[in-house]
Amino acid sequence: MLNVPWICSRCLLRSTKAAGYLRPFIPRRGLNTGVDTGLSPALLIRARSLADEHSNLSAQLAESFDAKTAKRIGELAPIANVLGEWDSANESLVELKSLLEDPATDPELRSLAIEDLESSKHSLPTLSDSLKQALVPRHPFAELPCLLEIRPGAGGDEAGLFAFELLRMYTSFCSRQGFRTSVLKLEVGDGPAEDRLSEAVIEVDASGAYGMMRTESGVHRVQRVPATESKGRTHTSAVSVMVLPSFPDSGAGGDSALNFDDPTSDYYVDPQEVRSEKMRAGGAGGQHVNKTESAIRLTHIPSGIVVSMQDSRSQHANRKKAWQILRARLAEARQEAREQELVELRRGVLGGVARMGRGDKIRTYNYGQSRCTDHRSGITIHNLDSVLDGGEGLDNVMDSVRTWLVDQEIAGMAAEEMAKRAHPQKVATR
Amino acid sequence: MAKVTPGGRLQQNKLLRSMCRARSRGVPLQYIIGDQPFGDLQILCRRNVLIPRAETESFTVHASKLILKRLDEHPEVTNPQPLRILDLCSGTGAIALLLHALLANKIKQMTILGIDISSTAVTLASKNLEHNLHHGFLLDRARTEVHFRQGNVLSNHDSNFPHVDKVLHEFPGFCNQSGLGCDVLISNPPYIAPNSFWDGTTGRSVRIYEPKLALVPSLETDANMEEHIRQEDVFYHDIFQSAMRLGAKLIVFECGSYAQACRVVGICEDIAGACARREELAFHIVSSSGLEPGTHISGSGPCAIIIERSMASEA
Repeated sequence: MLNVPWICSRCLLRSTKAAGYLRPFIPRRGLNTGVDTGLSPALLIRARSLADEHSNLSAQLAESFDAKTAKRIGELAPIANVLGEWDSANESLVELKSLLEDPATDPELRSLAIEDLESSKHSLPTLSDSLKQALVPRHPFAELPCLLEIRPGAGGDEAGLFAFELLRMYTSFCSRQGFRTSVLKLEVGDGPAEDRLSEAVIEVDASGAYGMMRTESGVHRVQRVPATESKGRTHTSAVSVMVLPSFPDSGAGGDSALNFDDPTSDYYVDPQEVRSEKMRAGGAGGQHVNKTESAIRLTHIPSGIVVSMQDSRSQHANRKKAWQILRARLAEARQEAREQELVELRRGVLGGVARMGRGDKIRTYNYGQSRCTDHRSGITIHNLDSVLDGGEGLDNVMDSVRTWLVDQEIAGMAAEEMAKRAHPQKVATR
Repeated sequence: MAKVTPGGRLQQNKLLRSMCRARSRGVPLQYIIGDQPFGDLQILCRRNVLIPRAETESFTVHASKLILKRLDEHPEVTNPQPLRILDLCSGTGAIALLLHALLANKIKQMTILGIDISSTAVTLASKNLEHNLHHGFLLDRARTEVHFRQGNVLSNHDSNFPHVDKVLHEFPGFCNQSGLGCDVLISNPPYIAPNSFWDGTTGRSVRIYEPKLALVPSLETDANMEEHIRQEDVFYHDIFQSAMRLGAKLIVFECGSYAQACRVVGICEDIAGACARREELAFHIVSSSGLEPGTHISGSGPCAIIIERSMASEA
C-alpha cells in the first residue's frame, strides 16, 4: 500500500550521520553566502591578534624607529584596516537590527533602517572576503620570477607530443601576460619528429611570475586520440610541470631571506656540497686542445639532486644555468618540506586537508569533449582551444585555482587556530 | 624560422653539407660557425686567430673579481685616475672585452688596451668590439675605453713592429709625468713547448687549423739565448719585465700546466729579485678547475699565475 520503499532504521541513521560528519571537511567554494558564516571564529581570533600586534607595534614605532618593525607594520596594516571596516559594518548591523526590533521606532526611520540594513548586508561578504585575502600570508617566493619545467610522464611518444603543446601553451600565455620568457633547456626526443619533448625548462623573467604560475605545478593529464594512433583509440597520458622560484643573480637580492649567497639564508647552497663534473675532463687543456664539449653536471650531494646542462656552447653559460636550476630546485624542496610540516600539523586537527603537490594529478585536458577540468578548484572550461592557446580559458582556470589556494590556506589557518587553542604548547614552536 | 624557398633550401643543404665536411676534417667548430660564446659576449672567430678557451674565460672572470676586491678594500688607490688594464697577446680581444663587460657596472672610468703582434688579430678584435656593442653585450662606453693596437710584446727589437712601450706612449692614460704605467696586466701568451706541439699533447685540430704563432713561442729572442729559459716560457720573462717597468699592481698569466706555472713563478721571482722588489710581490697559482666550486683539482689542466703587489709598497 505504501509507495515509499522500506529503509532500515539503522541505515537511515547512518546516512544522516555521514552527511553531518562530512560537511565541515569538504571546503567548497560558493557556499559562504550567509552573512554570519563568512568567517570562522578561529580566523577572527587570528585576525584580532594580528590587529592587536599592529597597534602595539605602531605604538612602539612612535617612540623609536626600527626598519624591521616598520616592515612588519606594513604587512599587518591591511589586515588591521579591513578588520576595522568589518567591525564597524557589523556594529552598524547590530544597531540597525535593534532599531528595527524596537517597537518605539518611528516608521520613517524604520524604512530608512531597512534600506541601510540591505546595503550593509551586501557589503559584509565582500569585506569578509577581503579580510580573508589579507589574512593569507604571502608566499615567500611570490614576488620572484620563476622557472617552469615540463617533462613527459606516462604515455610514451604521446606524452612527449603533449608536453610540447604545454610548452607552447605556457609561452603564449606568458607573452599574452607581457612576461618575458627564455628557454633555458630544450631537449627533444630522438626520432623524425621535432615536436616530441623530453625535457624543457623555461625562465619566466617577470617579478611576481612565481605567484602567478605556481598554480601549474603538478601532473597534467591528456585524453585524446594521439596523432600516432592508427586505430582511433583514445589514450590517456601525463605530463608533469614543475614551477620553481628563480632567484636573482648574486648580490642583487636586497632581501636577506632570499639572498642565496648569505650562508645564514634558508636558501643558501654550500658550494662544498655540490659536485661539479665536466662531461669530458682530464688531460691537457687550454691552448693544447679546443674542447667543444661544454656539458656540465652538478650533483647536490646531501639531497641527490642532479642537474645537467648542455644547451649552450659555452661551459661558463651552462654552469651558470645549471646553478640557477639547482638553486631553484633546492629552494622549492626546502619550502615544500616546510609546508609538509604545516600540513601534517593541520591534518592532525582537521582530519585531512587536501594538498596538491607535484605528484598529484591536477588537470585533465580532454580533446574528445573539448574540455579542460581542474581537479582542485573543480572548474571545467568547455573551450579547450582557448586554454591550449594560453588565452582567456587558461587565465580563468588559473584564477579559479588561485582562489582555491586561498580557501585552502584559510581552512588550514582556521585548523591551526583550533589546534593552538587545543594544545597551545605544541604549536607555539612554529 | 623564416620561410625558405625551395631554391634557398637547396642552398642551405649545400651549406650544411659543406660545414659538416669541414668539421669531419677537423676544422674547429668555431671557425665553421664563426663565433664562440665567452662569458656573456659573443666572440667572432676567424682563421689565423686563436679561438678563446673555456679556461681563459674562467681566469678572466676570476681576474675581474680580484680587481673588484682590491678596489673594494682600498677605494682611495685608483679613484682619481681611470683604471688602466693592459691585455698582452690579446688575439680575438676576448679577455679585454669580457673584462670591460664585467667591470663596467662597478668602475666608472677605465682604459683597456689589447696588444697583439698579428694584424689579423687586431682587426678581428676591433670587429669583436663593434659586434658586441651592436648586440648590446657591452656598454657604449666600451667604444672609447677599449682599444686594440698592433705591437710586439717580446724584447727582440724586431723593427717590423713597435714595442709595447712605444705603443703605450700614444695613450695618455698609460703615460703620465712619471713615465709609463698600468694597474692591471693580464696575458694569455703562447705557451706550448715545441715538443708537446708535435707529440700528441696538442690536439690535431688545433695543430693543423689554429695559428702556430699564437701557440708556440718563436725561437729567436734574447731571453732564451742568454738566460737558458725554456722556449715555452720566454713570453712570461719578457712580459713580466714589462710589468715591472710599468709598475702593474695585479698581474695575471695563463699557462699550460702546474709545472710550467712553477717554472714561471721562479723566473718572475728572479727578475723581481734583480730589481729588489721581491718583497712587494705575492705569488699564487690557481688551476682552472680549482676556481669552480665543487670541482676536484687536477694537476694536468692549465693554471693561472696571479701576482699581486702589496698595498703597503704603493704608498
